[in-house]
Amino acid sequence: MSTKFIKSKFWVEDIKEEMMAEVPISVVEPWQKDKELKYVGKPESRKDAYDKVSGTAEYTFDKSFSQIAVAKTLRSPYPNAVIKKIDVSEAIKNKNVLGILTPDNCKDNDWYSGTSKLLDKKVRYNGDEIACIVAETEQDAEEALRLIKIEYEILPHVTDLEKAKLDTAAKINDHELKPREYNRGNLEEGLKEADIIVEDKFSTSVAVHNPLEPHCSVVKWDGEKLLVFDSTQGIWAVRDTVASQLGIPASNVRVIKKYMGGGFGGKLECGKYTVMAALLSKKIGRPVKIVLDRKEMNQAVGNRPSSVQELKIGAKKDGSITAISHNAYGTAGAFPGSAGCSWPARSLYKCPNMKLVDTTYYINAGKDRPFRAPGHVQGTFAFESIIDEAAEKLGMDPIEFRVKNFTAVDPDWNGPYTSKLLREAYIAGADKIRWKENRKKAGFGGGIVKTGYGMASQIWWGGGAPPSYAILKLNWDGSAELVSGTQDIGTGTYTILAQIVAEVLEIPTRKINVVLGDTGVCPFGAMSGGSMTAPSVGPAARDAAEKMLSKLKSAAAAILELSEDKLEYSEGVFSSKDDRSKTADFSKLFGHFREGVLVTQGAREANPEGYAINTFGAQFAKVDVNTLTGKVCVKHVVAAHDIGRVLNRKTLNNQFHGGIMMGLGFALLEERVIDNYTGKLLTTNLLDYKLPTIIETPEIDVIIVSEEDNKVNNIGAKGIGEPAMIPTAGAIANAVYNAIGVRIKDLPITPDKVLNALASKNN
Amino acid sequence: MQRKISLIVNNELVEVEVNPGSVLLDLLRDTLKLTGTKEGCREGDCGACTVIVGKLKNGKIKYRAINSCLYPIGNAAGKHILTIEGINTDSLNKIQKLFYDEGASQCGFCTPGFIMSLTAHLLTHNKLMYDEVVNSVAGNICRCTGYSSIKRAIKELTTEFVSNSYELDDLINKGLVPDYLPGIKERLISINELISERSECLQKHHKIIGGGTDLFVQTPEELFEHDLTFISQNDMCEINFKGNRCFLGSTVTFEMIKTSTELQQYFPMMDDYFKLVASLQIRNSATIAGNIVNASPIGGMSVILLALNASIIISNKEEKKVFHLKDLFLDYKKLNMEKDDIIEWIVFNLPNGKFNFEKVSKRRHLDIASVNSAMYIDDEEGIVKTVYISGGGVAPIPLFLKRACEFLTGKEINKENIIRTIEIAETEISPISDVRGSADYKRLLFKQLLKAHFLKFYPQQIKMGDLL
Repeated sequence: MSTKFIKSKFWVEDIKEEMMAEVPISVVEPWQKDKELKYVGKPESRKDAYDKVSGTAEYTFDKSFSQIAVAKTLRSPYPNAVIKKIDVSEAIKNKNVLGILTPDNCKDNDWYSGTSKLLDKKVRYNGDEIACIVAETEQDAEEALRLIKIEYEILPHVTDLEKAKLDTAAKINDHELKPREYNRGNLEEGLKEADIIVEDKFSTSVAVHNPLEPHCSVVKWDGEKLLVFDSTQGIWAVRDTVASQLGIPASNVRVIKKYMGGGFGGKLECGKYTVMAALLSKKIGRPVKIVLDRKEMNQAVGNRPSSVQELKIGAKKDGSITAISHNAYGTAGAFPGSAGCSWPARSLYKCPNMKLVDTTYYINAGKDRPFRAPGHVQGTFAFESIIDEAAEKLGMDPIEFRVKNFTAVDPDWNGPYTSKLLREAYIAGADKIRWKENRKKAGFGGGIVKTGYGMASQIWWGGGAPPSYAILKLNWDGSAELVSGTQDIGTGTYTILAQIVAEVLEIPTRKINVVLGDTGVCPFGAMSGGSMTAPSVGPAARDAAEKMLSKLKSAAAAILELSEDKLEYSEGVFSSKDDRSKTADFSKLFGHFREGVLVTQGAREANPEGYAINTFGAQFAKVDVNTLTGKVCVKHVVAAHDIGRVLNRKTLNNQFHGGIMMGLGFALLEERVIDNYTGKLLTTNLLDYKLPTIIETPEIDVIIVSEEDNKVNNIGAKGIGEPAMIPTAGAIANAVYNAIGVRIKDLPITPDKVLNALASKNN
Repeated sequence: MQRKISLIVNNELVEVEVNPGSVLLDLLRDTLKLTGTKEGCREGDCGACTVIVGKLKNGKIKYRAINSCLYPIGNAAGKHILTIEGINTDSLNKIQKLFYDEGASQCGFCTPGFIMSLTAHLLTHNKLMYDEVVNSVAGNICRCTGYSSIKRAIKELTTEFVSNSYELDDLINKGLVPDYLPGIKERLISINELISERSECLQKHHKIIGGGTDLFVQTPEELFEHDLTFISQNDMCEINFKGNRCFLGSTVTFEMIKTSTELQQYFPMMDDYFKLVASLQIRNSATIAGNIVNASPIGGMSVILLALNASIIISNKEEKKVFHLKDLFLDYKKLNMEKDDIIEWIVFNLPNGKFNFEKVSKRRHLDIASVNSAMYIDDEEGIVKTVYISGGGVAPIPLFLKRACEFLTGKEINKENIIRTIEIAETEISPISDVRGSADYKRLLFKQLLKAHFLKFYPQQIKMGDLL
């Protein structure tokens, strides 16, 4: 494969990553707009649907071996303490207890960027890991954990964000979190130019991923080699962390993820539990399984940081925005992390003057992890709320105001977008929900149940980037196997990759097997996050398939004794353009080969130079608000987005509907609650941490306004996981305001906030 | 503490020595290696572990969906358990096929639970109404699909099988359930005959388990180490009517009350009230007496029964006692009961007047209420003859609002008297701030719920504006 190395640039949150990546020298041309595709874009059912509906899909959670032992973790009951003494003598008396890890006998490995240890004698939150016990059964392990005696020196804690801001707050972590500041033009000048200024303060709660399958690993040693089954979105991250934590070569660690029950960002990195299981397994010479329970899931494996956002916008009478000030702060827990959320304010609209400050404070709580559109979900809610306030003050329709401030170039550096159909999304969405006819003045009308309409826009990256590779093996019978080290976490990666290969080789998807999620057999593939997977791995799959087609063509030319340009290809058969009787199908070709399988490797090409690559969209919500009880019921959501080419209408709809419902949960239900007095987590289960159910599901329409984005990669597609969720909460919040004429500025919008707001409005 | 337990799992007879205080999910996954049934929370909140339990009653098997993570093995003895593995045949059944075609499975971890809930619905309903079928999976959480594809699959199912017949032969012919089901009944009868001392008699110091849906969340370790008596295995599971009185057996489940056609004549909204109480899987296991003795200040059943002025019949080795439910609750989680007392029956007069139940929680259902309230009112020409008002989440106990009731009795229904009743009610409550809301909010919400009762009872006489 002829490749070269380039500096690959892409955005991850607000950090511009620049890494070397190996890309193909000759780039595959994207499918042209008018080309009729046979497989790509079609609503094919999932390749793994049978396994899932029959319950035969084996998840990490289901994995077992004979002689397997079970590990459980002891976690700190206190939010801030130093462990003086650990006495495990009672705990290890039971013969069913096989091994134990404590700070006293565990490797002194760094964790959380060196601010903590794998097992640290300083515990910084209720749920911080202290010890891990492996036993014959889960019950044995749990009983033994209760017998560990620990002497703590309990330290003052802080779990309240406002208290954490104070200079007097107890110091939680030595690593200093510096505020991030972004300036464009001159904010003060911009505010002076403005005819109107609106100013407001918004806040959002900490949200927790809570995928249905808990975080879990099953580990098994084979001599010096370690096999790790992990429920992960990033097999390479797990491999590399486990190898370096254990001090063994990366090549001795094989990480496998086949089926997994969701991740949403929480499973992008390696957990302590995986490393502890591997250490214990080595110790006892038996396979070990470790599964987190729902309480641990809510304590210790990541969350979306909270935010408080002070926003100020200045605009001229004609609607043009002259200044934006966004001062945001929040908490990402007790270890280095980021609560930044100002990116939507920076990039959604044209604005010459702005000052954006993001500050993150430590509190004694579990650390953040990326959660479906980190920063953007909370940032978009607040920013799109104040945009509505400005529009109202100007007497403009919210859409009209947004269109007025539309920017055709990336406002950061004035570069063109590969595509931006945001205005088309406004039109399509408004049309579908009948915005003009239905939306009334805020608080309009009487009655107990009031209806409102609202909308919000979305920007995200999602174009993907190199490096990602795929190996394609074509068999003598015309069946093929595509192998790539990415993961399908339920999004449909197996299916779309098969469709892409099918499109190129013109063979049915049922003959294509897709192998993902195994560091032992796969070339490197993108992590499953950030809406990166499809636009990173998809083009590599296509590259591999095109190379296979070239290879076959050259073989067919040799066998038929014709030059390649005299050949045409259709559905597994090469034929001479001049003489239709001269044909070669797979069996004929392979009859001439010594091997029964041909292999090619494809790679993701470089991103185009000089372009900004983004996804855009707008969502519209219709809500009913019961003014007697304060309950909000979302009736209808319309999502209109520019995401390049649709690869599979069925899996795309799934992703959008799921993202919208997650956004609805964030808007109305989900919040992590910590008791500030004791510092303990209160929302430890799925009754107290509330996920939306089928009853909450409104009517949802998904409109894709883009046909393809051929500048972005060879499949013309961008990711959709994050775009689907970003604008939902903002649209719902704006709709609630439109219904009752009083704005709820703190998410989630629970009945108590609505009722209190209505009561204070009536007084 | 091990006991030998016999049951049929799918098409196999299973005889195991097992601690009856362990849960069915562990038997399925760990012992029988049936890992198609998933575990998402182990507290009955997610439905990933849903399986179907068939119980022999009057020569027939009655099936229902339950959360296997909270279902004690002791309750599974002599029953038929159906898991996802048990409905797999050579090809996908109709529900599985619809999930396949509609993309109703994404990461797939919740899928077996959904399919089992829907299969249970088919086994128990002869008419498939879209809204009802949707409600049958309201206790199944999916974090990926946003449920729309699942709704589409349900729509297709209800369109194709409008008039379902839950006769097994019919379901088998339509490819909805496997063909071995008709043979299960005889096998279950012979198992039940073998278990001679099946009916559990209460022994001293035994812990009593009803549905176990709360105990197995709160203290699973303790149950593992205790001697247990499973009263749901007895046949105290009846709803009887004598004259104008209703007798609810202590192990009657929430779902039995919700679906009782007799009770629906008196409480036309019963189905709606109970839709708000837990999930179908929990309602299928949870017993009415369990909810009462749990003594949760927010217990939905207690609040409803208080407003019906219910009595309870309690027995122990020596005697039987009858007293008003409102006299049962002494203080937070403290009951006016002796150690070996057991509730046998709950009795109330069938209402002549109006009855209403209101509940507000953060989620629209499947949630513990922030505040709930029930009211019964019987009036003649606008004068109140009898009124019972109750409230949950506003005191350490499920509260009967004695003074408010006393005030309103004999009074005319008008704006002033309603406002005064609400004022008096407010002096009787003492809510506290917790994860479900602040004290002030609960106070405000409780007043709103009282208004809601009156607005529902007297839509002509009373308007929202009157009560602001």
